[in-house]
Amino acid sequence: MVSLARRNLFHDRLRFVVTVAGVAFAVTLVLVQVGLFLGLLDKATVTIRNADAEVWVTSRNTPNVDFAHTFPETNVLRARSVPGVARADNLIVAFMNIQLPSGATEGALVYALEDFRRWNLPWRVSAGQPADLKRGYALLMDRSAELRYGRFAVGEYREIQGRRFRIAGTTEDAASFTTTPIVFMDYRTAQELQEQLRGSTNYILVKLAPGADAGAVVAQLRRRLPYNDVFTREEWARRSRDYWVQSTGLGMSMGVTVFLGVLVGIVIVAQTLYTSAVEHIKEFGTVKAIGGSNLDIYRILGEQAVIAAVIGFALGAALSYAARPAMAGLHLNVLISPAFTGVVFVGTVAMCLGAALFSFRRVAGIDPALVFRA
Amino acid sequence: MGSRVMAVEGVTKVFEEGRQRIEVLKGITLEVAAGELVALEGPSGSGKTTLLSIVGCILSPSAGSLEIAGTRVRRSDEASLRETRRRSIGFVFQQYNLFPALGALENVEYSLNVRGVRGRAARDEALRVLERVGLGDRLHFLPRDLSGGQKQRVAIARALAGSPPLLLADEPTANLDTAVGAQVLDLFRQLAKSEGKGLLVVTHDPQVRKVADRVVGIRDGRLVEPGERAAEAA
Repeated sequence: MVSLARRNLFHDRLRFVVTVAGVAFAVTLVLVQVGLFLGLLDKATVTIRNADAEVWVTSRNTPNVDFAHTFPETNVLRARSVPGVARADNLIVAFMNIQLPSGATEGALVYALEDFRRWNLPWRVSAGQPADLKRGYALLMDRSAELRYGRFAVGEYREIQGRRFRIAGTTEDAASFTTTPIVFMDYRTAQELQEQLRGSTNYILVKLAPGADAGAVVAQLRRRLPYNDVFTREEWARRSRDYWVQSTGLGMSMGVTVFLGVLVGIVIVAQTLYTSAVEHIKEFGTVKAIGGSNLDIYRILGEQAVIAAVIGFALGAALSYAARPAMAGLHLNVLISPAFTGVVFVGTVAMCLGAALFSFRRVAGIDPALVFRA
Repeated sequence: MGSRVMAVEGVTKVFEEGRQRIEVLKGITLEVAAGELVALEGPSGSGKTTLLSIVGCILSPSAGSLEIAGTRVRRSDEASLRETRRRSIGFVFQQYNLFPALGALENVEYSLNVRGVRGRAARDEALRVLERVGLGDRLHFLPRDLSGGQKQRVAIARALAGSPPLLLADEPTANLDTAVGAQVLDLFRQLAKSEGKGLLVVTHDPQVRKVADRVVGIRDGRLVEPGERAAEAA
């Protein structure tokens, strides 16, 4: 079977390149932008997902994990008394100032626990041990902090809230949504640094006993801690994510970016397919004259749109995947899942077929009698 | 001559533009038999292309009847007109109207695909008709690499493919020099005789008159008697 669609497409090489480039650009824009967004959102919940706690107790109306409020630390005793709770510990999450060797002051998001290892925090330690945090004023600093704090090494000292801390080790992947680096330190040490933390905490991490009914435990915790909120891990992660998506306009801004990417793709594909259809109008007239129908011509245009979509998508997806290591080098996490890639592929084909509809309208009215015109 | 492959009877065609009503064809009656080459002559605006479009089932007549290969064509049924074009009519155009991105073989094969012939059968038929018009050694040439005469031969092969009983040609020699035009006409003549096709050729070319079995004139939408044409010629 001869494919006039394919042959015409590859015959007009320049137009084909422009069409494919337009599709590839739109695909890259959508994949990278949404990938960056998802990467950011991933950071918004990175500690929730990695902590070995099925239930989080927070202060009332805490919007997300980074913006914590305090409540009495003795609440943890009530949590521990709930049947089905294997263990419960206080967690401090607080913004503090860190003094850099340059004299500048930066922010740090401090995570403080009595026993980090029990809660799988931090989850990737590249140097030192969480146990070292018990030895004087010590901290574990995430490697991503180098972007904000400059280079640092284990054994060096940094000042936090005016107190000198030894860098006892380093961690990986622990950066917050706001890109403020995460610093891990001992619970009691953190309380010393801020007045409002004395006798207070920000969260209670809860580990369920094997076989415990999470719903029942959460209900019990809510009854015993009426001035707190209690969330399962998934609920808390969703609440933290939703805060950034909805309250900051980031979701809308991402939606606009995706819309613009799709719009650029549609305009380029529609424009090139349309001009191609107009230039081949006499050929389409011939197709009709020799017995072809509008459907035959729609098939030609549709096939061209799908070919442009598939090749443009492959190119755009390859570019997007290839950009990930370079972006990672800049501590930018581009999260492109196979499922999302699949969605973008389907969207690309739909976008190109949609763009071809403009040409459908043009060719639908072709008068086959034009074949007799010189 | 064989049985008739085309017959129009009392065909009129009226175009309406706003309040203006233009009667382009006025009661045309014409037949073409199998193996017959009929030349249709007339000045510009006489209605010959409109008549060709109606015979080719591209336009519907305003009144009158049309019969192709023994089947009466329903004049306002687009699907029926398309099916008749697909099954029974081969076209040769003045501008060749080949697909520029397809080689000679593919041009013919594609037209067969449109007519519902696929795969090996289409390839074999395309090879046969290209051999028939003497282009067996130009199968993969793109139209831009062929001469005018060769392009017209590809167009003739395309029209022949699938063996439609009726071939319609619109000024087939207009873009060819005299020698090449004569070769094309000779080919038409052979096709009419050896393959039993009915050929209706719209032309201004006096060469066509020499090879045609019958010459029909058209003036102001009416067929002109041979006597009238002779008088005009004198």
